[in-house]
Amino acid sequence: MAAKGEARLAAMSAAIRAADAPQRIRADYAAFLREHGLVDGDVDALLERGGERMLVYRSLVHNRLRNVVREFIDRSAARRGKSEFRADFDAFMDEQAPVTPYLRDVPAEFVAWVTPRWTANEAVPPYLVDLARHELLETDVRNDPAGGEEPTELPLALDRPLRFDGSCRLMRYAWAVHKLPYALEDTSTPPHVLTNLLVFRDRTGKVRYLEIGEWSALVLEELICRKLPVAEGLRRAADRDGASLDDERLAKAANLFAELADHGVLLGAEPG
Amino acid sequence: MTTPTGIGLGLRAAFIERVERGEADGKVAFLELSPENYMHRGGPAPRRLGAISERFDIITHGLMMSLGGVDPFDDEYFRELRSFLDRHRSPWHSDHLCWCGFDGALLHDLLPIPFDTGTAIRVADRVRAAQDRLGRPMAVENISWYLELGRGQRDEPEFVAEVLERADCLLMLDVNNVFVNSRNHGFDPYTWLAKVPLERVVQLHVAGHELWDDTLIIDTHGADVRNEVYDMLAWVIERVGPKPVVLERDSNIPPFAQLLDEVAAVDRVYQDALGRWHANQLVAKHGS
Repeated sequence: MAAKGEARLAAMSAAIRAADAPQRIRADYAAFLREHGLVDGDVDALLERGGERMLVYRSLVHNRLRNVVREFIDRSAARRGKSEFRADFDAFMDEQAPVTPYLRDVPAEFVAWVTPRWTANEAVPPYLVDLARHELLETDVRNDPAGGEEPTELPLALDRPLRFDGSCRLMRYAWAVHKLPYALEDTSTPPHVLTNLLVFRDRTGKVRYLEIGEWSALVLEELICRKLPVAEGLRRAADRDGASLDDERLAKAANLFAELADHGVLLGAEPG
Repeated sequence: MTTPTGIGLGLRAAFIERVERGEADGKVAFLELSPENYMHRGGPAPRRLGAISERFDIITHGLMMSLGGVDPFDDEYFRELRSFLDRHRSPWHSDHLCWCGFDGALLHDLLPIPFDTGTAIRVADRVRAAQDRLGRPMAVENISWYLELGRGQRDEPEFVAEVLERADCLLMLDVNNVFVNSRNHGFDPYTWLAKVPLERVVQLHVAGHELWDDTLIIDTHGADVRNEVYDMLAWVIERVGPKPVVLERDSNIPPFAQLLDEVAAVDRVYQDALGRWHANQLVAKHGS
């Protein structure tokens, strides 16, 4: 049996989160309360107010959080469909609910939770996870606590990792969701092509999107995500590409590094 | 740290650019902000806030401390919060007499607490712990509540007074919340105000509210301040003297110039009441 104070909070938390709470509260509110450890005085007081008043809190919490998620991924939510998105969100609240104290991070928690469910659901458009991830990027990158680091002032060296701006993300999509129109009513399907975007916050605070080729993405995966020294990263990227590290690939990598330095994303070699 | 008085505005993303451009200069006495909207955040937002805090006194008002909760405090949250408060030199920090999370889940709303001694002791313990962690005084805000969570042993003002006494902390008095509760639960708001220790009031909030249905008003901060709330503000200021008063607006935010007009309207009520407070002080000092 939970402590008295804890029981009351547990009951309200369940009323807000549990998928079946509205039905159960309307069917037998007293049983719902007792199941969470509430006893006579508290049960009587809550029964006097009625279960609908408890459910006002459920509506307030769900409306606020669902609207925040929808605001961040509005095109994904629209393509999912109003009732389906609402059901997804109800299930999120039931199974996990937010754990972040920052409201702006709730949409990312929802997308992380819903990704395997959308992926496994044949009724969900196959590009929707990519679109939701893409829609989150703008606020995610703009607000990333990392980013804006100073250049190391060290020239590139083959035996050292490179330092990139902390805000940059390498996004790899199976669908070219970045080409979809912004209109919420649009229902077109994006091209089904592997798409690589390097996304970062520039020195003015704007979020920039750089579409890059497969070879560049392989290189950056090794250098940004795995933080490998340049030579090792290039070798691994070539292996994964099923090709040798020839002059053409080296030249492309050099051009990529120069372009990223121009954009202020590549900040030099990491100090030893 | 400075302690501003007069009418301030709750800073919101919807008009922060206008504040940055100087449109509020000379029109609001200070700004109140919620640290959670800026903590753990990079990019333009902290730079913008840094520039604004050079021009305005800042008072902080949190949303997620869950003083009425039972989950342990989040150490990382408190570390970030203290760093933020130090950076922006907030003279005190306020949060709500509510809970907002349970069993690790954070529900991002102001959820009601029972008005009993066990809860008062728990809340007061947490307020004292928060003061220690933050290295500055804490103020607690009375919330709008739509349901008391169980059978309370006392009424709300008695409960608030008990928490303030046990925690030896300050009161962030939201007069709109008192008004909303008085309408929803059928009590006299002035009786409520007379029962709380006004000497602990460090700051006030005013705001507007909206109807949920025929029987319930919700504290949405989505409408203009009502005359009844102005009257309550004046009643308090007449008794407590100069304090910082924040106009809160979170939804249906009007054009910024119109919002500043409302700040000016609050200020007129405040200045009139302050005049009466000064007169009362003179009478008390020198006799009528």
